[in-house]
Parts: sequence; C-alpha cells; structure tokens
Amino acid sequence: MSKGIGDRKYRDGAGLSMRTIIAVSIAAGSFIILADRSQAADRDGGAQLAAMCASCHRLDGGDGGIPTILGMSPEMLARAMLAYRSRERPSHIMRAIALSLSDEEIATVARYLAALNK
Amino acid sequence: MKSPTRREFGYLTGGMTLAALGPRLAASEAKAKVVVVGGGIGGATAAKYLAASARTIEITLVEPNPNYTTCFFSNLYLAGLCSLESLTHGYKTLAQRYGINVIHDSVAAVDPVARTVGLKSGPKLPYDRVVVAPGIAFNYDALAGYDEAATQVIPHAWNAGPQTQLLRRQLESMEDGGVFVLVAPPNPFRCPPAPYERASLIAYYFKQYKPHSRILILDAKDSFNAQDLFLDAWERHYRGMIEWLPAQFTGGIKTIDVKERSVKTASETFKAAVANVIPPQMAGQFTQQNGLADKSGWCPVDPITFESKLQPGIHVVGDATSAGDMPKSAFVANSQAKACAFAIAEALAGSERVPPRLFNTCYTHLGPDDAVSNAVSFKPVAGTIKIVDNFVSQVQESAETRHRTAREAQSWYAAFVRDTFGYAAF
Repeated sequence: MSKGIGDRKYRDGAGLSMRTIIAVSIAAGSFIILADRSQAADRDGGAQLAAMCASCHRLDGGDGGIPTILGMSPEMLARAMLAYRSRERPSHIMRAIALSLSDEEIATVARYLAALNK
Repeated sequence: MKSPTRREFGYLTGGMTLAALGPRLAASEAKAKVVVVGGGIGGATAAKYLAASARTIEITLVEPNPNYTTCFFSNLYLAGLCSLESLTHGYKTLAQRYGINVIHDSVAAVDPVARTVGLKSGPKLPYDRVVVAPGIAFNYDALAGYDEAATQVIPHAWNAGPQTQLLRRQLESMEDGGVFVLVAPPNPFRCPPAPYERASLIAYYFKQYKPHSRILILDAKDSFNAQDLFLDAWERHYRGMIEWLPAQFTGGIKTIDVKERSVKTASETFKAAVANVIPPQMAGQFTQQNGLADKSGWCPVDPITFESKLQPGIHVVGDATSAGDMPKSAFVANSQAKACAFAIAEALAGSERVPPRLFNTCYTHLGPDDAVSNAVSFKPVAGTIKIVDNFVSQVQESAETRHRTAREAQSWYAAFVRDTFGYAAF
C-alpha cells in the first residue's frame, strides 16, 4: 500500500513552461483571462459535460489506476462510452455515467475531450 | 505531449487561452462578484469552476484554515496506511493559478439586503451571489454527556485533522486486548459508509499489531449503508473481531460518560479502552445563524441551481444541503458545486441554462487491498433530486476485482483533489 496518497509528483517540465507564461504575462502588466471565443467554442455544453469526467480522470495523464481519457480520438471515446453503456465493457461507475448521456451528448463530450489533446 | 497549459485551461473553458489584458477590459469595472464561504470540497470546487466558467466574475474564497485535510481516506491514516500530510491540500494553486482571491478569515454574517458578506476581522465584501459550503456541525444537544470539550478525550474524528491524529494516538497507545467502541450516528450524516469503513480498517490495524483487541459498534440505527458488503468482509478478514449492535438490540444510545470512557445504552453500559463517538449532525453553524437551515437542521436548495429555498441570491452546496436523495459525500459536494458554478455563471451572463449533471461515487476500503465502489446518477424531479441509476459492488466479486478497485481508489483520490483544489502545474 503506497504511503502518500495525495502526493504523487506533477509533471515538472511542463509546469515550468506554465510558470514562465504566467511570469511573462504578469511582467507585461497582464494576467490570465478567458478569451472571448471560449463561450462560443462551448455552445454545445462540452465543457460542462467534461466536468463530470474530471472528478475521476486526471487531466495531466493517467497514473495506472483509472485509465486516462487523453490522447484518444472522438470515435474511440464515443465507442468506449457506448460499450460501457451496453455492459460490453464492465464498470458500474462508467455505466452510470454513460446511461445518463444521450448519443448526442456522448458525441459532444468525446469531441470536446479529444480536442484537449490537440 | 503538446501544450499542457492548453489542456487544463482548454478543458475548463472550452478554448480558454492566455491573453494579455487589453485596455478595454482593464477599464471595465463591471465584474460580477461571487463570494464563496468555506474552502472544503464544495467551496473549493465552486470557486475553481466559477473561475473557469467566466472571466467576468471576480471570485473570493473565504476560509479560516490555511489548508484542508480530507475526511475521505482519513480512515486509511487511522490504520497507518498513509500520512495525514498526503491528505492535506492548500489554496495556493487556486489563488495563483486560477486567480481566486483567497482570504483566510471567518464569516460573521451575510446581509442579504445590503448584499454583503461580513468578515470576523471587520471588512464587508459586496456580492452579486454567495455560495455557502460550511459542511457539517455536530448536534451535541442530541447526545447526553458529549460536547465540544469531550472531543478532547473521546474524539469524533469526523472532521479530519487534529481529531483524527488524537484518535490515531489513542489507538497506537492502546494495549492489546482492549475494546475499541465506535458510536455510529443517526441518519443523515456525512459519508454513510465511513463509520463501517473505519471499523474495518482499524480491525486491519489491530489484526497486525493488537490481535486480541476487539471492536464494538454501537449504532443509533438498525441498518447501515452497504451492510451486506461489510458483514461479508468482516467475516472474511476479521472474524470475531467486530461486533455491531443495532439500536433495536441496545435500546439506543443514552449517555456518553467521558470520565469513565463508557457508553450507556438503554440495556447496558459498555466500557472502552478507546472510544470514538460520531455525534448526530446538522448543517454548519453559519447556516443555522443566517436563516439558511430549516427545522430539520439542513439547508433546502433548488435542485438545479442550488440556490437556497429560504434566502434568494445565496447558494448552498455540499454536506450542509438537504438535496433529496443525494447523500453527504465529497463526491456529491464536488458534483453539486459544479452544477452551482455553471448555474451562477449562466445567470450572471443571462445565457441559456443547461440541466445539471449530478453524480455520486464512493470508494470504500474493507481492507487495504479490498475496496468496493458505488455509482449513482441523480436528476432534478419536481423540486427535489431523485436517484436515476444506482450500481454497487457485489458480495461475490473476485479478490482481483476488489484489488483493482483499491488501485482505482488511489487513482481517484489523486484526480479528485486536483479537480477540487486545482492542478498546480503540468
């Protein structure tokens, strides 16, 4: 049984680049804001649907327990969700999630998640 | 791997990006103000998702403590399976990376007419909306002989931190052969499987270090959550070590005698070497004093926006709510907080309202390598919240399945605390 549950290491290299960007932004008298296009890009509610996924799936890659949902095509993600829904793939947690979504919503959230990896 | 920053921010907002704050925006002072009261799972999640939902909202999070120790997984700490530090999370990431104004102070009162949140230290924070997430308070009036002072001798350990450490120290210094008495609370209470998970993991600890010790659960109820799964595990892992006495057997719990370290029921008095009293619960004090809780002691809320049914403009999320079929769990607090954050962002922007997605997932440890899970979906129905689907682990599952669930639980914890307190970097 591992000791530190909450203290797995972050991805340091990538973190540095984030800090650099923030530092540059602050230096330029600016800060992080949301772009205007954010709301336009999310008219179909993909972000709100994907917020469900983030309660269990890490957005900085998998760690061996719960599978990662990053780096998959929309088709792969949608196929997996449909397989959970039909019980072809076992997981009662994913089954409850998949049953709560329409086919259209599955396509939306799959498109949304796949786009994160671009 | 490409652009990790875009991954998190892109995820959060659907194309949110880093951009210089232009003069036009700098000049606009019409930012809506949301104050979040309480930095537990519900409050931290609400603040984070509000920050991600709209740039036009200024978010202040008020929390007295410098960091938060999760009550979920603290039973693993009691069994010596993890450190308390690994369960403790700060607010630096929410402040620095998500732009949330974090104030370490207590809230004295909310003034719904002036629309201000008054801090103990004096200042009044104006708001357009407030999200209140105070968690639970203990209803000491409902249990004779047990009060705040008594918790220093017989811990409740139902808020993680010093109370959990006290219970761990008492278990460590207990002699082999002692009886550990756990008093389980009446419904509703925070985290329904947790008293029984606690008994399981302390039995695991005893089995290794104090094998002649026993555990006695004195319950205020006649049945409990996932009872068949627990009884099966106790028989398999801890035969003869755990005894559960329902209220119908004891006649109910009458008095706690702190000096004697004993629990008096209607039929018998039980003396403990170490005792843990989990008292009856109600919504956090703050809600009782600000007209947010009803006679039940909990806060009735709108099932879509989580706006209080008693105080317009004030939203309540997490354990303090009375939210239909939703149990009091960290996962539920996180799920409610997201729905609430999206509803507030939509209300402030005047945009179309999307129905909330409400879930609960519980990972429960029966032993370090034997875990079960539960998944429930909910939906708002006629002013309340109803269960749609409810799936639970089965008694006959293989050891391999249970081991895999235990691994998933570890992985879930890591994802969940990042979803709540933010990703420091990646």
